[in-house]
Amino acid sequence: MSYEPKNPRDGVEITVGYRGLGGQPDRLEKRTVQPAEGDAPPWDANTPFAVVGTDVDRTDGIAKASGRAKYAYDITFPGMLQAMILRSTVARGVLTGLELDEARKMPGIGAVVALKEIGNKVRFVGDAIAAVAGTTLHAVRDAIEKIRATYEAEAHNVDFLQLPDAPMLGIAGDIDDEWPADENVDGALAAAKVTHTGTYRTEVQTHSSLETHGGVAKWNGKDLEVWNSTQATFGVRGELAGALKARGIEVESLTVHAEFIGGGFGSKFSAGIEALAGCLLAKEANAPVKLMLDRFEEHTCTGNRPSALMQVRAGLDDKGTITAWDWRSFGGCGFNGGGGSVAVPNYYTSQAKKRASHKELAMDTDPARPMRAPGHPQGWFGAELFLDELAAKAGIDPLEFRLHNDDQTIRQDQWRFGAERFGWQKARARTNDPKARYWHGVGLASARWGTLGNAGRPAHGITCRIHQDGTVESRSGAQDCGPGLKTVMAIITAEELGLPAERVKAVSGHTSDPSGPASGGSTTTPSLAPAVRHSAWLARQQLVELVAKHLGVPENQVACTGGKVGAGTAMLPWNEACKLIGPNPIEARGKRFDNYKQDPFFRGVCGCQFAEVEVDTWTGIVRTTRMLAIQDCGVVIAKKLAESQVLGAMIQGVSYALHEQRIMDRTSGRMLNGDFLRYKITGPKDLPQLECIMHTVHNGHANTSAAGLGEPPSVAAPAAVANAVFHALGVPLRHLPITPDKVLAALANRKV
Amino acid sequence: MTEPKKVLATFQVNGEPHEVAFLPHKTLLEVLREEMNLTGTKHGCELGECGACTVQIDGKPILSCLMLAVDAVGKDVRTVEGLANGAELSQLQHAFADLGAAQCGYCTPGILMTADALLAENASPTRDEIKQCLAGNLCRCTGSLTIFEAVELAAARCRGEKAEPSKESIYGS
Repeated sequence: MSYEPKNPRDGVEITVGYRGLGGQPDRLEKRTVQPAEGDAPPWDANTPFAVVGTDVDRTDGIAKASGRAKYAYDITFPGMLQAMILRSTVARGVLTGLELDEARKMPGIGAVVALKEIGNKVRFVGDAIAAVAGTTLHAVRDAIEKIRATYEAEAHNVDFLQLPDAPMLGIAGDIDDEWPADENVDGALAAAKVTHTGTYRTEVQTHSSLETHGGVAKWNGKDLEVWNSTQATFGVRGELAGALKARGIEVESLTVHAEFIGGGFGSKFSAGIEALAGCLLAKEANAPVKLMLDRFEEHTCTGNRPSALMQVRAGLDDKGTITAWDWRSFGGCGFNGGGGSVAVPNYYTSQAKKRASHKELAMDTDPARPMRAPGHPQGWFGAELFLDELAAKAGIDPLEFRLHNDDQTIRQDQWRFGAERFGWQKARARTNDPKARYWHGVGLASARWGTLGNAGRPAHGITCRIHQDGTVESRSGAQDCGPGLKTVMAIITAEELGLPAERVKAVSGHTSDPSGPASGGSTTTPSLAPAVRHSAWLARQQLVELVAKHLGVPENQVACTGGKVGAGTAMLPWNEACKLIGPNPIEARGKRFDNYKQDPFFRGVCGCQFAEVEVDTWTGIVRTTRMLAIQDCGVVIAKKLAESQVLGAMIQGVSYALHEQRIMDRTSGRMLNGDFLRYKITGPKDLPQLECIMHTVHNGHANTSAAGLGEPPSVAAPAAVANAVFHALGVPLRHLPITPDKVLAALANRKV
Repeated sequence: MTEPKKVLATFQVNGEPHEVAFLPHKTLLEVLREEMNLTGTKHGCELGECGACTVQIDGKPILSCLMLAVDAVGKDVRTVEGLANGAELSQLQHAFADLGAAQCGYCTPGILMTADALLAENASPTRDEIKQCLAGNLCRCTGSLTIFEAVELAAARCRGEKAEPSKESIYGS
């Protein structure tokens, strides 16, 4: 890559778009963008990458495969105390008494703190009441037994469909309430050639991270250090600082560490009461305190994806175009009545008269937290299964129906390519022998995710250092929960400096380093990739200056490539060039500039998935046998890691479609299956054959066209599986998860 | 009420004797992590349901959250820290690192211990045998496919075959 010290003021012409999928035409176009003053020039579809998009190993692969990776749960200090939280046993009421003195007197107890005061409301079974720290968890458990907490219980409800403002359901499970009149939609429905209506339901899903929430707190005078299992190091710092200040506790410095995190999926943005309790206990005990939740607490007290009830009615004209689309949905939320909203695809209905409404219903349970594409898997399941039913009614193949109605070009190409690769036509034409035990079916569904990174957060930055001995460091205070921020940092820095990725030491997860975003919304990579690039680009300029001076050549002739720095035939090996640096390393702070004002090639990312299922008609068990994802990945930075994100999202989607369901006891308000035995998640034996096609799309939204991949591929999977079950059985199963009881009931009711 | 008293015992862990004072009600998981600082073995559920705490006892995978430490005295205990030969990682560990068969990595040590025991018994496991063997190890990020591929890659390399990691497909770049 040639060295360009300044961006041309009149903009840079770049090539955006993508090369044809499987022999389809290229969709490349020229665009002029205006990078911010001081930003690195943009990469585009013609950039010859040496490291980006190659098979670079995960930078922390060896740490993870050797057991050396230290998670919050693994942090230990001499004299450290263990802690637990006393949880409410009533789902709704008021705390009327709390006696902690007996607990304080128990052997081995270092601190006891109240987390609620008498008179405070208790909002769900598992609400935090008090916390205890002691020398062992056994001592702590014994002390917790001695705490006397009394409640004035009130009537509670843990089933959102039993709430007074929930809609009425008929015997078949359909919403019976009349649709309110709407001239627009009613007219379009009346004029439609084919109309259809359906009610769809999903259940509460828990995040089920393998490492539970919590961490270690350690005070040194007024300085506080916290090791936390979090998706938001800076968020936790801010939240704890605020909460401690509100309690009158002086904090001079607060550092949060999260080098390795054992899963989060949206549940670990907040420090939570557990991290605050750890800090309070550590202060009172004057000792480091570890407080990690147990598995039951993890299921019941750390958020969830709320349940949803959705109803849609729609109509088609004689060409099969959707001309009317009427949607209403209800979210089964926790006590705060938030987070249950449902997202619906909008690219099928651009020709339709539309209406949509949503209502949140608050139960006396743990509040929702974002979970991998919040609102999307539930809404896409409802909408995509409905579309298959509607297409069936009109006698149109589901793929043809989507090709006809989908207004997004990228996905049009993906549908065609995917159908060919999956063998859609042949698989769809296959019929099941009604006498056979196993029935098969195939289904498809689309995906869309709308963000390309947090732009305009100048506080987000990356430090790049080049040391005299040739070592290169890239540092971010943001966290790498596993998707691979560190690997992305190493790859982009290496690309810019002309080095192999393993030469770059990437460090993340300490708030003493530059600020970064919370890992949510699939924004970590697209938010930080441009800042990584900027930091390496600035550091390179400083090295180039030294080398140019040393060689006596103009700076614009110096290149960093193939592990060498220099001009023409005078190329210095990297380590030789770095000797010019001197004892103080080159240090550059990259910034996250705003996204270009010019439109990107596409806002967000597109995708689609195909699934094949096998239904055991004797037992009702559904197995997903084969899946294919065509996923817009922006520009793939780290190939192995990008693929891993997509495959993981597909499997989690299967889990949501077939297994996962929180079951509540209406009487006690307690979760009945708060463990992994009765709350089933997909295990190794449930795994289908999987294929993921990473579709590179040069968006041209910033100096790198990286996209985040945690969420986009999780949108389509449950819907594709549900559609495949519909194909296999000939009747739609409109209530996730598709468990054997529902399959057997559908088979029994099926008109033969 | 007084605090319970610690007992003293010698454990054989990763080929070395460890003399440890520990509370007799502690599980093997707790003693490995808290008394020997072997934190590679993870707390997942402490109910025997997730497999994150898997270690080997006399070569067989067991759930260390369900075993009292006293019951492991006199037995040969192996943890993820003992898979490597000194600084040199085992073939299985290399394969996991090469393929990136970990996302968050929290389930990885348990999976390694289970798969290592499988490979010791069966040099050429089929995909179904691998799935069967790992059925008790949950992975929530679900890098499971890559995990199976890593076990197969390690098995091939152990058999002396020149095996290369499979290539992912990127289209349209």
